[in-house]
Amino acid sequence: MRVRQNSKETGFVLIAMSIAMVLLLAVMGMAFDFGRIYIARNEAQVFTDAAAMAAASKLDGTDAGLDRARQAVARLPMRWNLGTKSFTGVVVQFSPDKRSWARVTAPDNQVEITFLQAVGGPAVFTVPAHSVASAKPVRLIE
Amino acid sequence: MSPLRQRRNQRGHALIELAVSAGVMVACLAGTVQFGYTFYIYNQLVTAVGNGGRYASLRTYRAGALSDVEKGKTAIRNMVVYGDTRPAPETLPQVANLRPEQVQVEWVMDESARPVAVNVSIEDYTVDAAFGMFHFTGKPAVEYPFVGRFAPGEREP
Repeated sequence: MRVRQNSKETGFVLIAMSIAMVLLLAVMGMAFDFGRIYIARNEAQVFTDAAAMAAASKLDGTDAGLDRARQAVARLPMRWNLGTKSFTGVVVQFSPDKRSWARVTAPDNQVEITFLQAVGGPAVFTVPAHSVASAKPVRLIE
Repeated sequence: MSPLRQRRNQRGHALIELAVSAGVMVACLAGTVQFGYTFYIYNQLVTAVGNGGRYASLRTYRAGALSDVEKGKTAIRNMVVYGDTRPAPETLPQVANLRPEQVQVEWVMDESARPVAVNVSIEDYTVDAAFGMFHFTGKPAVEYPFVGRFAPGEREP
């Protein structure tokens, strides 16, 4: 029965297309979302590197030095998410003697997922970064 | 409808379906390539300005003459572009088509004309991602504190 056979065939393209679309979405998600995640990670790392150095350079063993260090971190103009969002929830920690090192953590950088969400990915992906800097940097550069 | 006619009809359907689905898929793939490559380049630029900023922040600031400040900036620009302050003549940039003049280096000075921080950013850089162009100006940018040696009277070697 030829007619019945044909009616079985209809719908194949729909199924093939939907499978292909899911795969395509996954590939697009990998390129787009992973790309943004890696950039956010890198931006956060560069920020904490600079912030830790800024904080450490203000340390002098006093509480006023700690305040100046926190202000120096807050004053940094660097942004993330392709240079559009400012860093929030930044944590600045210091060595117990208040003069040796500073550690800066940017824990709260949530990248919104666009495509991978459609194939079972999370809605947001958090990319934290942290850096430690010494108050007396060893300068190997002249 | 005779079975033969129906066959022919279906062949037409398949062609239209192929045209529609191929159009969608090619558009999606073009977008993927375009954004994927642009993000890849942007990520490299973030790394490059980060490295340049870190170098600038630790470098000795010499200002014996105006040309020394400019020499220092050239070294920083070379660090961003080539990963080397004095690159060999044929050195390739670390990021495709990036040139030293596209790197902006600005010192932030305090009242006593001492550098306190350095801004490094990319100006006027275009990514050619096959299916489209993206233009970056003032991005990516970093600001590092200056923690190097301050030598206002020294000349650049």
